Amino acid sequence: MEALFFNADDGYIEAIVRGYRSSILNNTSYINLTQCETLEDVKLQLAASDYGTLLQNESHLSTSMLAQKCLDKLVQEFEYIRAHAVAPLSQFLDYMTYAYMIDNVILLITGTLHERDTHELLDRCHPLGVFDSMPALCVATNVAELYNSVLVETPLAPYFKDCLSAEDLDEMNIEIIRNTLYKAYLEDFYYFSQSFGGPTAEIMSELLQFEADRRSLNITINSFGTELTKDDRAKLFPSIGRLYPEGNLKLAKSDDIDQVKATCDVFLEYRQFFDGSSSTGASKTLEDRFFEYEVHLNKKSFQQQFHYALFYSFLKLKEQEIRNIVWISECISQGQKERINNYIPIF
Amino acid sequence: MGAYSTRDSSYGGTSPMALYSYLTLTGLGLVGLYMLLTGSGEQFNVGEFIMSISPHQWSLMGIALCVGLSVAGAAWGIFITGASLVGAGVHAPRIVTKNLISIIFCEVVAIYGLIMAIVFSAKLKDVQDATITSSEMYYKGFALFWAGLTTGLCNLVCGVSVGITGSSAALADAQDGQLFVKVLVIEIFGSIVGLFGLIVGLLVSGKVA
Amino acid sequence: MSGTSNRLAVFPTRMTLSVMKQKLKGAQTGHSLLKRKSEALTKRFRDIVKKIDDAKRLMGKVMQVASFSLAEVTYITGDIGYQVQESVKNAQFRVRAKQENVSGVMLPAFESYQEGTNANELTGLGRGGQQVQRCKETYIKAVETLVELASLQTAFVILDEVIKLTNRRVNAIEHIIIPRYENTIKFILSELDEQDREEFFRLKKVQGKKKEAAARDTLERESRQAAEGKKVREGGATESVNPSLPQPSDLLGGDDEDVIF
Repeated sequence: MEALFFNADDGYIEAIVRGYRSSILNNTSYINLTQCETLEDVKLQLAASDYGTLLQNESHLSTSMLAQKCLDKLVQEFEYIRAHAVAPLSQFLDYMTYAYMIDNVILLITGTLHERDTHELLDRCHPLGVFDSMPALCVATNVAELYNSVLVETPLAPYFKDCLSAEDLDEMNIEIIRNTLYKAYLEDFYYFSQSFGGPTAEIMSELLQFEADRRSLNITINSFGTELTKDDRAKLFPSIGRLYPEGNLKLAKSDDIDQVKATCDVFLEYRQFFDGSSSTGASKTLEDRFFEYEVHLNKKSFQQQFHYALFYSFLKLKEQEIRNIVWISECISQGQKERINNYIPIF
Repeated sequence: MGAYSTRDSSYGGTSPMALYSYLTLTGLGLVGLYMLLTGSGEQFNVGEFIMSISPHQWSLMGIALCVGLSVAGAAWGIFITGASLVGAGVHAPRIVTKNLISIIFCEVVAIYGLIMAIVFSAKLKDVQDATITSSEMYYKGFALFWAGLTTGLCNLVCGVSVGITGSSAALADAQDGQLFVKVLVIEIFGSIVGLFGLIVGLLVSGKVA
Repeated sequence: MSGTSNRLAVFPTRMTLSVMKQKLKGAQTGHSLLKRKSEALTKRFRDIVKKIDDAKRLMGKVMQVASFSLAEVTYITGDIGYQVQESVKNAQFRVRAKQENVSGVMLPAFESYQEGTNANELTGLGRGGQQVQRCKETYIKAVETLVELASLQTAFVILDEVIKLTNRRVNAIEHIIIPRYENTIKFILSELDEQDREEFFRLKKVQGKKKEAAARDTLERESRQAAEGKKVREGGATESVNPSLPQPSDLLGGDDEDVIF
């Protein structure tokens, strides 16, 4: 049924995104990129792609500049999509930016906690997570004020309101705050996307469930041997993933990687993450496998038409592409050619 | 802006559409019950109601439905295809001319409806008062009505299906030029569906003198 | 005269000679000691140069690995620089300096140690935590190498200075001081010889004069005796000769005693 009405509002912008998707570098471009000897070569190779005009006027090349330029382009594309979107889609796109907003607000909180001039931090914020009232947050001089202005000024208010109090900001580790917010955000986004029904709900549920599970697994593995207690750990697990609730419970009790492995053994897709990979070292790390699977899922969402998950997937794929380009150019500039093939091919 | 609150409203509950249909059903049920219980249930006579309508009314309604639904289908298809085509054309301008064929397929559906409407209207004749209630006239009225409805509905769904396929064709073509012909074949099959309605409509109305 | 610049301005006496000889001896001992010290330092210096070379090579490798692991972190988590920077309250990695004595030279040695808790252990909790930790470890290694290199480099600079100084001293002793003492000694000896010869000659001269005087005396006595013998015959002729004769013998006698003693 969504095919009947989808295009009235979103057909144009969907086709545009598919157009952007076709400009994502394919395997051949990656192979060409990995053959490069210098960043200058990389620039030449990229000139043939969509990034060509972007780098034309840059005489001095560096990896960070490359990353910045690519990100600028992504932001520009996203802004274009956002500007063309109408009602439910625009809200969906806003939801996508909340993740970056959380990062930015966390950055500002960090700055405020250490009594730095937060205005300087505005430049370091992720451009996708910038919102109009952000400079207003910088006025706050202490955490309590910041907490109040976050509640008033940002769309993140519900997450803050439900999960944290002003005192928490002062006392808790910033990473825990971040993950608490992210958990609330993921759950909210999940329920929001489910309200659309149809393929949007279907695909988004798969994507967000994986994202949630990935976070749970990561938090578990990364908290081994740290001061994070098991109870606190359990509080950070999003309650929407496929691991929820049983897997999450097991993860909360895990003490080492083997127990995590055992938890994931039940799920066919997740089992492969631990096959032959001891999370440290090896050619492919756990993170790499996560990325690979994420790309796989995101690629799949392009197989269906008339749904919103496509926009989410596009953003994620484009981010992965930027990571790939940066990785390759980093390998080239540091002369570490043997690991250059660790990028995740997309198409 | 503003987060979608998970706690304030329930999900997948009552949408406005469902609410309206509930209201209508309850309303109809109440009226029906009232009529039944007050002993005037006989007034609810469908056959008599139908027979009380003039055959001319039936014929003209058939013609109107035929062309109206067909055009609605075509228009629907065109906007579905058009939106995707315009969007995909931004990044791959080459596809635009080629994919106009999808638009034409949709347009054809409207033409089917138009042809049928012309054929039907040719069968309309001014008749004397005495013969208007004859069985031939009723047959003519019903035949034109249902032929028109058949054609119209067939063309409506055909238009939508061609439109959706056309939109997919445009997107596929933008990604990979080779896919165009393949999706086009599917689209042609879709557009044939409209022809079925056309044929049946012709057959049914053909019996009319 | 070239000789004067290369010797000490001393009176050439036997006293100074013995003092000079002592000084020469001292200078020679000092020279050999300093020479040995400089050799020891040079040996140490060479060791350090070798170590610095190794450390620098190692450093190159370690830094490469470290910056690459940072690239890995950026790949997975994005830019976490600010957060990492701000979450640190106390330095976990510290350096303390101690001193090491090499042949009397104090060389500072830096020693790194870790203290306190890991401030960033939760960084990248949701994503890339392992990479962050690994990156941290590689950077700790890199900084360790850096500290080692720094202590070697400081030792290198200080040793270089000290070796130069010692070598300058050795050379100064060898080429300036010892020759100068030797020259002085030579000068004193030659002066003393000269004095001896002069003395000898003078004594000879004095003896000659005495002999002459003695001969004259005898001659005079003889002639006086002869004159007395004549006086007996002629009289007053001896009175005019007498006053001139005792005068020179008086002068010489006084001189003699002065010179000898």
